[in-house]
Amino acid sequence: MRGRQSKQADEASVDLTPMLDVVFILLIFFIVTSTFIQEEALGLEPPPPPSQAESNPDQSAILIYVGEDNLITVNGRLTDISGVRANMERLRAENPESALIIQAHPQARTGTIVKIRDEAYNAQMTRVNIVQSES
Amino acid sequence: MARRKRISSSSSSAEDDVNLTPMLDVVFILLIFFIVTAQFIKEPGVEISRTEVDNTERQNPLGILIAIDEESDIYIDKEVVTLQEVGFRIRELREDNPKGRLVVQADQDSDAGVLISLLEIINNEDGLTAVPVSVEQE
Repeated sequence: MRGRQSKQADEASVDLTPMLDVVFILLIFFIVTSTFIQEEALGLEPPPPPSQAESNPDQSAILIYVGEDNLITVNGRLTDISGVRANMERLRAENPESALIIQAHPQARTGTIVKIRDEAYNAQMTRVNIVQSES
Repeated sequence: MARRKRISSSSSSAEDDVNLTPMLDVVFILLIFFIVTAQFIKEPGVEISRTEVDNTERQNPLGILIAIDEESDIYIDKEVVTLQEVGFRIRELREDNPKGRLVVQADQDSDAGVLISLLEIINNEDGLTAVPVSVEQE
């Protein structure tokens, strides 16, 4: 056998194997625990506190009501999801200051509410509130 | 042949100590990458079907995830949570993760009443004026 080159060189070269073990274990731990979650989201406004809602009742507002059967009415006029934006823009043209209130029956579908809020973003409505009706 | 030539020419003395330094560099860079990007999020652990919309905004960094499944049950950290407990659980999670965004994963077939009550609680707890609800780009 050839053997190691020299005895005094041993002190200069540190044995890296234990450190490598530790580093690999750390590496595997972080690979396993790391999660790459990406979320795309749409902002939904919570209902205003009760006192504030009563302070400006006379202000004109567009009211979109979603019933238990997911039927959509805009200011009392029955429509469907594709007609919501047109209705919203027509009512806003009549009264540019008007706020939008989306009122949902507690058993209405979440998807419908999110879609209506999305249409409101498309129509660039700024003041939007989402409330639920008394069941 | 060329293959034969290579085998005969290689000497076995160089194989005795392999130089580990370049591999160590790579491993350290990987390690640092994973440490930096690691985000410890407690996932709700339920599959939901998201609503498809036009206006989406990427939420980064994520912090707290609250899910509502199609049965309108609220899930935080793989556990069913009642509406009354949600505020407490959010405060608990906020201690670990003060900066991350809170996102609600609401199934499109869940009851709107649960979602709206949840928005109200999140608004009280976190002071958000628009609560991000997870959606899909159309």
